Formats: sequence, C-alpha cells, structure tokens
Amino acid sequence: MFTAIFTPLARFFGSHPDIGQWYTTIFRWVFPLLALALLLKVIRSLLQAENPAEKWATLRLPNGSELPLTHWENVLGRAKSCDLIVPLASVSRNHGTLVRDEEGVWYYNDLGSKSGSFINGKPVTEKTPISFVDTLTVGGADLKLMPVPAAERRQNIRRRLFFSRPESPWSSLLLLTFFQFFAALQFIVAYGEDCPAGAPLSLLCLAALMWVYYFAMRGLKRVAFEMETIAFFLTTLGFCVCATAARDHLLTEFAALVLGLALFVTLSWFLRDLDRCKKARLPLIALGVAALALNLVLGQVTYGARNWISFGGFSVQPSELVKLVFVFAGAATLDELFQKGNLTVYVIFSAVCFGALGIMGDFGTALIFFTTFVVISFLRSGDFSKLILILGVAAAAGFMILRFRPVVAGRFAAWGHVWEYASTAGYQQTRTMSAAASGGLVGVGGGNGWLHNVAASETDLVFGVLAEEWGLLIAVLAVVCIVTLGVFAVKSISSGRSAFYTIAACAGTTFFVMQTILNVMGSVDLLPLTGVTFPFVSVGGTSMVVSWGILAFLKAADTRQNASLAVSVKQRKEKGGADYEEA
Amino acid sequence: MRKLERRAVICLLLSVFLLLGLAVFCFRFVTEGDEWASFPANKHLFADGNLGCGSIYDADGELLLRNTADGAVYAEDSGIRRATLHVVGDAAGNIATGAETKFAGKLTGYNFINGTYSRGGDGRRLYLTVDADVCETAYNALDGRKGCVGVYNYKTGEVICDVSSPSYDPNDPITAEKAEDGGYYINRLLSATFVPGSIFKTVTAAAVIDHLDYEGWTYHCDGSARIGDSNVTCVSAHGDVTFEDALCQSCNGAFAALTLELGAETMAGYVDKLGFTKSYSINGIRTAKGRFVFSETNEAALGWSGAGQSEDMLNPCSMMIYMGAVANHGRVVVPQLVSAVKSDGGFPLSVYIPRWRLRLVSADTASVLREMLRNNVVNNYGEGNFPGLSLCAKSGTAEVGDGTSHAWFTGFLDDEEHPYAFIVLVENGGGGAKVAGPVANRVLQAVIENE
Repeated sequence: MFTAIFTPLARFFGSHPDIGQWYTTIFRWVFPLLALALLLKVIRSLLQAENPAEKWATLRLPNGSELPLTHWENVLGRAKSCDLIVPLASVSRNHGTLVRDEEGVWYYNDLGSKSGSFINGKPVTEKTPISFVDTLTVGGADLKLMPVPAAERRQNIRRRLFFSRPESPWSSLLLLTFFQFFAALQFIVAYGEDCPAGAPLSLLCLAALMWVYYFAMRGLKRVAFEMETIAFFLTTLGFCVCATAARDHLLTEFAALVLGLALFVTLSWFLRDLDRCKKARLPLIALGVAALALNLVLGQVTYGARNWISFGGFSVQPSELVKLVFVFAGAATLDELFQKGNLTVYVIFSAVCFGALGIMGDFGTALIFFTTFVVISFLRSGDFSKLILILGVAAAAGFMILRFRPVVAGRFAAWGHVWEYASTAGYQQTRTMSAAASGGLVGVGGGNGWLHNVAASETDLVFGVLAEEWGLLIAVLAVVCIVTLGVFAVKSISSGRSAFYTIAACAGTTFFVMQTILNVMGSVDLLPLTGVTFPFVSVGGTSMVVSWGILAFLKAADTRQNASLAVSVKQRKEKGGADYEEA
Repeated sequence: MRKLERRAVICLLLSVFLLLGLAVFCFRFVTEGDEWASFPANKHLFADGNLGCGSIYDADGELLLRNTADGAVYAEDSGIRRATLHVVGDAAGNIATGAETKFAGKLTGYNFINGTYSRGGDGRRLYLTVDADVCETAYNALDGRKGCVGVYNYKTGEVICDVSSPSYDPNDPITAEKAEDGGYYINRLLSATFVPGSIFKTVTAAAVIDHLDYEGWTYHCDGSARIGDSNVTCVSAHGDVTFEDALCQSCNGAFAALTLELGAETMAGYVDKLGFTKSYSINGIRTAKGRFVFSETNEAALGWSGAGQSEDMLNPCSMMIYMGAVANHGRVVVPQLVSAVKSDGGFPLSVYIPRWRLRLVSADTASVLREMLRNNVVNNYGEGNFPGLSLCAKSGTAEVGDGTSHAWFTGFLDDEEHPYAFIVLVENGGGGAKVAGPVANRVLQAVIENE
C-alpha cells in the first residue's frame, strides 16, 4: 500500500519541482512551530511538575512530634544534612540509617555513633530489622517508628495524583505525528523520484511505533510520557539526519530504535526491584569488562578510533554498551555510601574503562566516562578535595595524550581559529558553521543540504545538519531537550526513594549532557572536535539502543504517581501496617 | 538523601555550561553568520568556489556583474569593467574589498532568519551607489597612472565614484605575480595609506582655528625656516603671510610654526578626533587606518608632520570623509556603497538610510575652513579651471623620498544642489593642483552631467 502512494507521489514531485519548492517554502516555517508547540508543553510539565514527597512511615520523637520518612533511605542524626534530624547534643552528626526494602520491611543500622543505638534496649551492631512500634534509642532519646494510617495514606495518594499529574500527552503526540508526517513528505519533495523509500517509510513507522508504545503504556495505567516524547522527538530528528546523511542505514536505524525501546521497557521493569539491581551489579561489571576486552582483541579502526567490532554483518560499539554497566556500577544505596571503601570496585572498573578507551584511541568517549566518573564519585563521597585530586590526575593524563598523540594535539591547535585551518584540521567545523548559517532559523528543508557530504556528518556534525536543513530553532530545541532531561533528573532527587535511583539518574544525565556538550560545541569550534555522538540524534545502532537504555535510569527516578513503569504500583502488604492498595 | 540533593548541583553545572555554550554559538550565529555563509565551500551559494547567483548594478541600473551557474558575466564595456573592477570585485575573489566578495550575503539574500534559502535560487539584485560612467571618466582621467579617485555625496553618503588604478579587465585576468608587484588587487581609496603632503594642512588648520588666536597672526616666509637643527623649506619665499594666505600658498614654514605652537599632543588629538586614525565601516568594508607621528622631542619633525610630511600616512577615503564633514557644517554622513537590494523580480528589499555619525568639527570651525578652502580656489588654483563648480579645495604635493611627489587634490562643492566631496590621488604624479586638479575637474563635471 505504501509504494502505491509513495511512487506516484515521488514521481509527481519529481516532475513538478515548483510545487515542491512552494511546499518547502511554507513548511520550513511550520516545522519549528510544531516542535516548539509540542516541546514547550512537555518541558513545562517536566520542569514545573510538583511532586509531593511520598510518606512511608513516621518517626515519633520523645516530645510527641513526628518526623515523616519521605524516602526509602534516610539518614538519622544531628546534622542539618540529615533526612531525620534529632537535635540532641548526645546524638552523632550522622548517627544511623533507616532503610526500607521492596517488601516494606524497615531496617536500622548504626553508623559508628559515639553513644550507640538500641532497638528495644538491644544494641545495634549490624543492619537490623525494625518493626513498627519498636523503640529505637539514640543518644538517650527513645524514638518510635510508626506506620502511616491507611486513611492518611489514601489521602496522600489522592493528593499526589492531583498535584503530580503529568500533562496529558495526546496533543504533544499528535503534533509530533504531524511533524513526522510532514517531514516524510519533505523528503519526497526534496528527492523527487530519487527518494529512497526508507526516508518517508522510517518516519511513518516511527510514528506508528510511538503510538503503539503509548497505548501499551496506557494499558499498564501509566500516565507520564514527557521523557518518552522528548526521546521520540530527538529520535525523529535522528531519522531526519539519517535520511540525509546515511540513507543506506535507515532500516538498521529503525531496527535499533525497536531494540532500544525494548531495552528501555525491560530495563525500566528490571529497575523496579532494588535487590535485583544490587545483585546484578557484579555480573554486569564482569560483562562490561569482557565486552571491552573483546573490543580490544577484535576492534576495527573507524575515524582514528578502534571502537567497533563487527560480526555477521552487524557492527557494534561495545564502549557504548558499557555506558549502561557504568551507570549500574556507579549507582549505590545509602547504606553502601556509608560502607568503608564503597568506591573500590567502582574505581577499579572505571580505571579499566579509561584504560581500554585510551588504548582504542577513543578519547572523546573516555572524557565522557571520566566526567561521569567524577560526578558519581562526588555524589557518593561529597569530597571536594578528592574531586580536585582526581581532576589533577586527569589533567596530567590529558597532557600526556596531547604530548604523545599528534592527531589529538592537531585538533587542539586548530581549536578557536578553525577558519585559518579551513582545509585541514578545521575542515569539518568550518563546513558545519557555514552550512548551519545557510539554514538560518528555519533551515533550507530536509534533504536540501550539503553538509551530509562531509565525513562523519551523520554522527559528529549532526548539530550542523539539523541547523542547515531544519534550522537553528530546531537544533537549539534538541539541545534544550537534553538539558530538560538533566534538570528533571536532578530535581527528582528531592522525592527520590533510594540513592541508587537518584545516582543512576544523575549518571545517565551526565552521559547525555556531556555527550551533547562535546558533540555540539566540538562541531562549532567552541571546544576541540572529539567525535562523540549526540544522544538519540546521531546515526548509529548502538548509540540509539544505549540512549534509550540510559533513559530508563532517568525514568526510574520519576516517582510521580503512576508515572513510570520503573516504579511499582502493585498491591502489597505493609508489615505491621494496614493493608492498602495504591490507586 | 538530603546530602545527595546538594551534591547533585554538580550535574546542573554541566547543563549550565551546555546552555552557555549554546548561547555563545547563537550569538555568533547572528553576528558572524553572514561571514560563515559567505565561505566559498558553502554549496548553497558557491559553485566551484564561485558565487552562483545574484547580480550587481550601478546606480543607474547598468549591469556590472551577473553570477550564473557557469561563472560571472561582467559589464559589456571593457572601460567600465576596468574602472569598476575594485568596487565590483571579481568572481575569483582577488579583490578582497569588492562587492562580489564583501556583499556575497546580500547578493544571495542571506540573513540569519532565512539563511540562504530562496525558492527559485536566483539570488538578489544589488544596486551600488556608484555611477559607472563617472568611474570610467575618472579611470580615463588617471590615464594609466597609479592613484585613486573618490567622490561622495556628503548629504546622503552615497559614493558616486570609487576608482583605483592600476586596474585590469576581469575578462582577461593578469598573472598573480604581476598583480602582486603592481598592487592591482588593492582598492587604493579604501585600503591603502599614503604620505598626505599639504592636504594635511586642512587638519592642522582645524586645530589652529579651535585653539589659536589666528586673527591678525602673520608669519614671514624666507623660503626656508630653521627649526631645531634642520630646515623646513617652501617651494618659494612667500613673504609675509596671514593664516589664510598660509593655507592658500601652502606655506610649510608657517604651518610648521603653527604646529609647534599647537604641540604634539594637540595634533595627535586632532588626527584622532577628525577620524584619520580609525577605520570606517563602509557597508562593512573597513577602511585602512592612517598613521601619524608627532614627535615630542624633534621639533623639525613635528613641524614637518603638521605640514603633512615626515612620517604621516593617510587613507584617502578618511580625507574625503573629513572634507564632507567640513562641507556639511562639521557633521559626517558616512559613505555607503550599497544603494538598494532588490529581489530578482525587482521587488525592493532594502531602504537606503543615510548614516549620521558624530560631529568632527564645530559648525563655526567648518564655516571658517570652508571660506579658506574657497579662497584657495579663487586666489590660487583658479576658478576658471573648475567652471561652474563653486569649488572649495586644497592641493597637496607629497614628497615620497625618491625625488617624485604624489599629487593630491581634495575638497568639495559648496553647492546645495550638488553636495559632493572628493579626493584625487595621482601617485608620483608631480604637482598637486597641476596634475590632480584637472582630474578632479573632469570627474566632477562628469558627476554633474550624469546626475
């Protein structure tokens, strides 16, 4: 059926270029408007969403006042940074932790406090279950863990449902579908009879897949789709880039999207269970190390970096997949943060990653891993001096790279004055800027550009391709999308359940933001060109799959009522509390 | 968890950095976008490095250059091609300040909102302010000698004539070697500096009018004056001269004495104030900056520099602008080369707006100068040599050190109907009034005739 419509349409525009020109002349203004309309709503919903904290239990103090436990993991102590502040001089600054598990069982553990902790009079030396109405004694004060009454709990859920209700996704979805449809038509107009069927077809299939996903999720009673809408929008732009700069890869790109979406859903489901995640960590790390080792043995050199392996006609970038492991390995629960040497395994794994990427010669990716490493270590330790030490070591390593890798040093030499190196080290950047300027605010129309002729335009220069063909507005919106995801992840910490999810979300965000920084700023000479991918937009199967994978970590931090598949809404029994059902 | 909240700010820092970078890029996109788009590798505009669309006309609508997919087509007349080469430019981009190169964005219709997109792809029509026939007259008047001629309307800023010699026919390009040796590619009016000679006395005169009591001031010229340990000489002994006579007779001794009275600091202040040390932007084409040295220690050198010799170097266009300011009661209207941009169908896309700038000299000073320059013509150069022009002018014969002299002639028409300021330079041409004066007359008569 598709070819029955497509072939005559392509032939029509092939023989009537003037009509096609009118189409582009008008619709180049429509695309940014559509994008703006659909994203403004989504972005506002994500950034303004009020998310009242969940209340899991209360802690009754001797004076009768009650402290709500709004996370699954809480630090109890005298310090202002504690979640449960007991303002007594006899209580240590960080006295102990109160942690809830998936089953609703609470555990208390002492953090080596001076005066010690007691449950029902028994001293606590290790992680100990604590039941409701048990007496917890810290610094001479008797505290009581109390359940939230069923009535109040139901009331809370209703309140959360009211306040944290996400924007209805349908209008944004509809606008995005229009965008995809008109973009498909634009490619037929631009290419005429030479139009590869894949260009419009992949966009239309993307639209269909998107709707299938939404209906499936609605079927599972999920209501928040902002992140997915942003990701689908970026993926749409990615397909547009692919239809211009890598026409032969449209099919694999679509296959990668299907895989990515499947990974996103699977990972979201997997992340529900904190115990499962903790257990999976070591095997995943082993898998990651194996992938890197395989890469080093079988790797192929593309654009100066040996970061590809191919088998049976497929090529994969293991270093991309390792990003997911890196997030898993970096995330940790609050309890783990207080264990001595909690960073050891992670630091060793990180060192392996940096080393492998260094040997592969993929310094852009190494820098992204490193930044994420710094962010995670800081989140876990909060230690500024350690941070500065790490950065110092990194600076020295960077200097060594410049000293001994002339290719990398050459890129630094051209940095900031690429126009003087327009036919050598500044070739790609000058073309990117020239093509981007030609697009103006609204672009010359999909398929009408020339930047796609420049090497690596479909991966490293996508910002330029977007600006040239779809305009600066859409290129800027793409970056704003990434920033929005980042800000939302940070924002979600205040109502996060476990440190594991919030660290994972921040790590995922760092990957996204850092990739975008290096990709965009590198291609327009604000930073040296390093050749990394723009999440969702750059063409490349592995990159697409991994981008969706990382999105699952961000999604898991979204604790708005019924927002995410990663946050369970199943019926469960609170031990010692009343039975209840979440709506 | 509260600890994590605070630490997570580090993540936001990265996002802020990304947004800052994006803002910087957008700023550059708006301010430098036309240069990026004019990059010869931009296939939206250039085919094999040549501009593929747009056409350039003179003020009367005479075609000077049309870009086609097969290359540039120039004016039909070879004389016009040579005369307008420097202002129009060439497809190869050798004339760096030519309209073809500098206004590539206008020719293609670039702006940062629309980019380079045009539905048909035919580009724009660019109308220059110059009159091709006047330019040809000026080029012929230079008669193969090196030099330049500039004429502009000091009320509106429109440049009527912008000619630089030597030139060549763009249909028959010369070798790069020859071009380098002869300075063929340089627009001498805009992009070069020369020893000004006596035309610089108009600058010193402005300082004198503002700072010294020149009424009743006299100077006795013996033909040579001893200053410090060297002589400041004149062509002949002028005898007793007033300030007005000194300018009219171009008495070096008198002006050296006046310069010493003014002092080095005042002189340096005046070349800045009158715009000789800065670069003017003429529709984005930057003029060359002049360079002047006023010695604090060497009196003879200071005296000579006030008379336009010594180490002074002056951009011809900046003098033309100064003359325009004097004519226009002290205020500058900046010259412009672009008269209009129209769509390929002839639909006007721009409006010509005169660009006023700051006052260079007071209206009173301008008025005194105007009288003195008028006096020069009446009592020295001869009204009969410039029939019907009501000319105010100053000549210059600048010694260049190899025994020859640059011939200069600059000034304006004190005529509301014909408000033109001009400058003529004939390099190594000889006496200013004798050599450059007739060139100026021919060009100005042609300007009025062609109005």
